[in-house]
Amino acid sequence: MDAQQFAYSPSELKVNPGDIITIQLVSTDVVHGLYVDGYDVSVEADPGQTATLTFIADKLGSFRFRCNVTCGAMHPFMIGRITVGTNNWLFRSIGLAALAVVGVVISIKPKA
Amino acid sequence: MKRPELLTRILITVAIVGAVGAPLYIWSRTPLIHAQMSENGGWSPDVLRAEVGKPLHLKLTSDDVMHGFAVGQIDMERVDVEPGKVTNITLTFDKPGIYTFFCTRWCGLNHWRMRGTIEVNGSSSDPEPASIPLYVSLHLDIDAPHDAASIPIDQPSAARGQELATDLPVDLSAEYYRSHSPYQAFNDLANTALTDSQRWDVVAYLWQLNTSKESLVNGKQLYVQNCAACHGENGAGNGVFADDLKAAGDASAQTMVGAQDMRMQTPANFTDPTRMLGASPALLQGKILRGGMGTGMPMWGSIFTEDQIWDLIAYIYSFQFEYHK
Amino acid sequence: MAKIELTRSLYVKNTLKSRYPQLAVFIVMLLGYIFAILAGLIGTPVGSHNFSIVFVWIAWWAILILVAVPFFGRGWCAVCPIPLPGEWLQRGAVLSPPDKRPKWLNLRVPKMFRNIWLQNISFLLLALFSSVLLTTPNITGIVLAAMLFAAIGLSTVFERRAFCRYLCPVGGFIGLYSQTAPIELRIKDKQVCVKCEGKPCYNGSQAGYGCPWDVFPGGLTKNTYCGLCMECIRTCPHDNIAVNLRPFSADLAKPSTRMDEAFKAFIMLGSAMIYAGVLLGPWGVLKDAAYNVGSSTWFAYAVVFIIIIFGILPGLFMLGLLQTNNTTPLKQRFASLSTALIPLGLMFWVAFSLSFVLTNASYILAALSDPLGLGWNLFGTANAAWQPMLTSVLAPVQTLALVGGLIWSARTAQKAANEVKVSSIPVIVYCFIVTSIMLWLLL
Repeated sequence: MDAQQFAYSPSELKVNPGDIITIQLVSTDVVHGLYVDGYDVSVEADPGQTATLTFIADKLGSFRFRCNVTCGAMHPFMIGRITVGTNNWLFRSIGLAALAVVGVVISIKPKA
Repeated sequence: MKRPELLTRILITVAIVGAVGAPLYIWSRTPLIHAQMSENGGWSPDVLRAEVGKPLHLKLTSDDVMHGFAVGQIDMERVDVEPGKVTNITLTFDKPGIYTFFCTRWCGLNHWRMRGTIEVNGSSSDPEPASIPLYVSLHLDIDAPHDAASIPIDQPSAARGQELATDLPVDLSAEYYRSHSPYQAFNDLANTALTDSQRWDVVAYLWQLNTSKESLVNGKQLYVQNCAACHGENGAGNGVFADDLKAAGDASAQTMVGAQDMRMQTPANFTDPTRMLGASPALLQGKILRGGMGTGMPMWGSIFTEDQIWDLIAYIYSFQFEYHK
Repeated sequence: MAKIELTRSLYVKNTLKSRYPQLAVFIVMLLGYIFAILAGLIGTPVGSHNFSIVFVWIAWWAILILVAVPFFGRGWCAVCPIPLPGEWLQRGAVLSPPDKRPKWLNLRVPKMFRNIWLQNISFLLLALFSSVLLTTPNITGIVLAAMLFAAIGLSTVFERRAFCRYLCPVGGFIGLYSQTAPIELRIKDKQVCVKCEGKPCYNGSQAGYGCPWDVFPGGLTKNTYCGLCMECIRTCPHDNIAVNLRPFSADLAKPSTRMDEAFKAFIMLGSAMIYAGVLLGPWGVLKDAAYNVGSSTWFAYAVVFIIIIFGILPGLFMLGLLQTNNTTPLKQRFASLSTALIPLGLMFWVAFSLSFVLTNASYILAALSDPLGLGWNLFGTANAAWQPMLTSVLAPVQTLALVGGLIWSARTAQKAANEVKVSSIPVIVYCFIVTSIMLWLLL
């Protein structure tokens, strides 16, 4: 995975639950890092020194990964996404929203 | 004006003057050395002064990305210079002269240009005479092509060479090693009864004798930190900046006349036997010391010590030879 | 649920009436504000370690959007330091009115500008430059200073708090969203106001100044333009003004039919969605476009931004409205039903802000100890590592906020729809769609 100011390439990963993920981080301009939300694992790579991050994708859902070495102005927004399995939480939330809407609409019916 | 009004006004004025004045004052008295990517200005200030024997306290901060700091040719651990944070370091110099400080963490294509100088005044007990680099005393043209006329079929192995070299009249000295390219050494073994590939094995052994496991480890670390970003982690000239260098060269070639070879270009491929086996350690030392004169290859003369350069060269040859396993 | 009058408690009333507690908070805020300008201008250019970026865009923003606005409406306006220097000049005093008031121009703001369009524009301007603003201390320092000087300048030309009421980009959305808050300032008895001579709450007296927000307290029915400055409580000779606790979003039961407010709702809704996509998404191209101000990609980004906010979002809304009956004029339907987007927009901003605040709140510790990046360590936390906080809580809270916001806005839509005698279904469907998009962008 290439890291440059201010994006990863590829920036979206899809893996299966239980997979052992190995990411080889190649910084192509300045020192960058990779920190995975939810898993709290990270690695740092200097240009010229590929760094390796290995972890087991045991938590389901969609997680952001982000840079954790200040690499310039837009550093806090240098973000990518890894989805383990399906993003169940999102679908359930949308489902909940739909349910809520139906609930609200129905609740007005009795009123004239 | 009523009393509370007056007092409150005084309080507000004092508070504001304090809130502005105190930090401003401290800020103006804090001598920071700012590290910026070369494209943004490099080190600021980039000339420092010191006295022999007097500790020099430095406060370093980065204004953009991760940088590092070290001074060439003195024994010190490099320190990181982090964005927004201040690194304190104290240096003491025993010998006067102009030292070069440089960035030690890759911060873009022009990372190696991020250098400054420390002018150290004073007298020292034993003045050191300057030495002429080997390539100069050998009258080597380090910019001329140095292709090997023939190359080995398999990667030469020093272990095999060791077995073969026992009874051979081989010059094992450091002078020979430094001043001859592997190809030349290969040629010098022409009057022995060995096959070509055996001869290459002996050359590999010769190279191994003139280095050590330690120097290989040192060399590898130097390579990884300083060279891999352009020359590639596996030496193939395909580091992360290789394409940018080529693009810079292509872009500039339109305005340059003559010396086409001296424009920015793809870094040397250390895995190419034709090119590497025709290069002597002295030639490589020359390239490293002097740099590439516009090719994008930095000059390391003021940064690395002689020992460091020999170590690095030992590692570079390990892309060609199998030794010190 | 009835209202609870907080000022019934003498302790509360006297704390609000006395100028000293308020002034103490004001001074702290002013010092912080000035220090933020200083830090922005002379401190480290690295945003994450500069007091101005960390304390304005992380700490202050978090408190504003997560606490102040939802629970106190325009509560921030009550303590904001921006109008202070100008107001002190204008009033000729820092505390109670002086005997001799200085003669400033005190012009009335021209009718053409007596709406929130200028605030819509100023917010949009900041939004288009937000990538640079949020990350570059210099720029934040300059913008803060510009707002301060604009406020001072306007105070010397116009009457009252012209900057706050008509120009401040923050005031625009705080006012809109304050309608959802559970706190309000209202008169107790209308008849008392009818009989009142001189109306000192609006015109000022020896006890205090006329409403700096150009609001007649006797006519206040919504929170939108009251800045909770408490002047009217000080000037009212009949003790007829109260601060009440009330149900959330009581004001939304009387939907506004103003176009400037309607478009503000779309501006806020749209920018929350765009920020979620550009700043928190994995698409580097968008971030580059947003950051490289002046480049052709940035122009494209700005154009798309404006098209989404002024074209696509209101356009789709309008399409939905056209499905409903047309006895009420479309403009009125549009404006009053867009009130439904107010609680939704607030929750969008809460959900979005939670993400970057929880991720980066740890910077607050470092910035507290070394605000200028000079190597200080005032509280020992200068080397606190960056560490996202409460990450396991983030997704559930965002879902709650967004779905909660959806329910809230659906109910608001129903009430507003009742007023204009149309079906609320298209608006509710619209809210559901944008909420789903926001959920997808954030989760």
